[in-house]
Amino acid sequence: MAEQTLNIPQIIVFIAVTVLIVRWFLKPSGAGQPSSASNRAARLNPAQIDHLVQMFPQLDRRTVAWNLNRTGGNAQAITETLLAGGTLQQPPTSFQIPPSRTATPSAGQRQAPRQPAKPAQPDLITRYNLASKLGQAAESSAVETPKGKAWSQDKNERQANLQRRREEMILAARRKLEEKAKAEQKSA
Amino acid sequence: MTSQASKRLFKEYRDLSSNPPDGITAGPVTEDDMFVWEALIQGPEDTPFEGGVFPAELKFPKDYPLAPPKMKFLVEMWHPNVYPNGEVCISILHPPGDDPHHYEQASERWSPIQSVEKILISVMSMLAEPNDESPANVDAARMWREKRVEYERIVRDNVRKSLGL
Repeated sequence: MAEQTLNIPQIIVFIAVTVLIVRWFLKPSGAGQPSSASNRAARLNPAQIDHLVQMFPQLDRRTVAWNLNRTGGNAQAITETLLAGGTLQQPPTSFQIPPSRTATPSAGQRQAPRQPAKPAQPDLITRYNLASKLGQAAESSAVETPKGKAWSQDKNERQANLQRRREEMILAARRKLEEKAKAEQKSA
Repeated sequence: MTSQASKRLFKEYRDLSSNPPDGITAGPVTEDDMFVWEALIQGPEDTPFEGGVFPAELKFPKDYPLAPPKMKFLVEMWHPNVYPNGEVCISILHPPGDDPHHYEQASERWSPIQSVEKILISVMSMLAEPNDESPANVDAARMWREKRVEYERIVRDNVRKSLGL
């Protein structure tokens, strides 16, 4: 009786050890496959996709990504297939591609070149605070122009001269463009 | 080294101010830091950039003029040799040793005998004549080559936008 009660913890330890050993042996074959496959998907390099799409604009990104995934990132093999006139395997519908590095159009769209989205820059009038000078510019700049070219010994004056030259350049361009637009409107 | 660089930059600033090339205004943002400049470049005539004024920032290295400055447009530029972030890519801004593709003549590249004025003039002519051997903006380069009308329309739109019209 005493012997049996002593054996129960031993049996539990034995079972636990057996389970661990069995799991350890099963792991490489059972769990190994999916984990290496997901590694491959993660290694998929968006730059590589972009590069291939640039070389072969007729392809869409998903197809390229799928085939890169399939070949384990072997861009060379894909290039060779395509150059030899072969076609690429179509990706299954469940396949998701990693986002593009540059804002290239996604899946369905063809590679219509367009300006990449980026934060809008302020226009020059805003940038140089010229809104208040838009109206009056015409007269004042005409009078002052000759002075602008001189080099002053005074640092602040130099700075002011430079700023004035910048402003004049922008305002003059804007005036010209406005006049041109008006002329076009009239002739249209 | 630093003081030599600022001296040189100061001299270039003086020359550019007393004798500015047509359509170019350039100088330090403030004289307290001679290593950051802002330049305005007028769009060359008879090009879609005509009528535009394009501000750009020039950042000089501490060992200027041994190394070239970096130049970046501060408005939207649609041009084969301007990266989408505004950075300008032309040979005069590349140091002589740094040419992985070997298509640039050594004489076109940066050397201490070049100057801010020469850079700005080169950039101006780059606007007129893009070099599509080494496009910085692949989409713009392709459009310039294949759909010139559309390219010019985008450039004109940008010019109008940048002047607040």
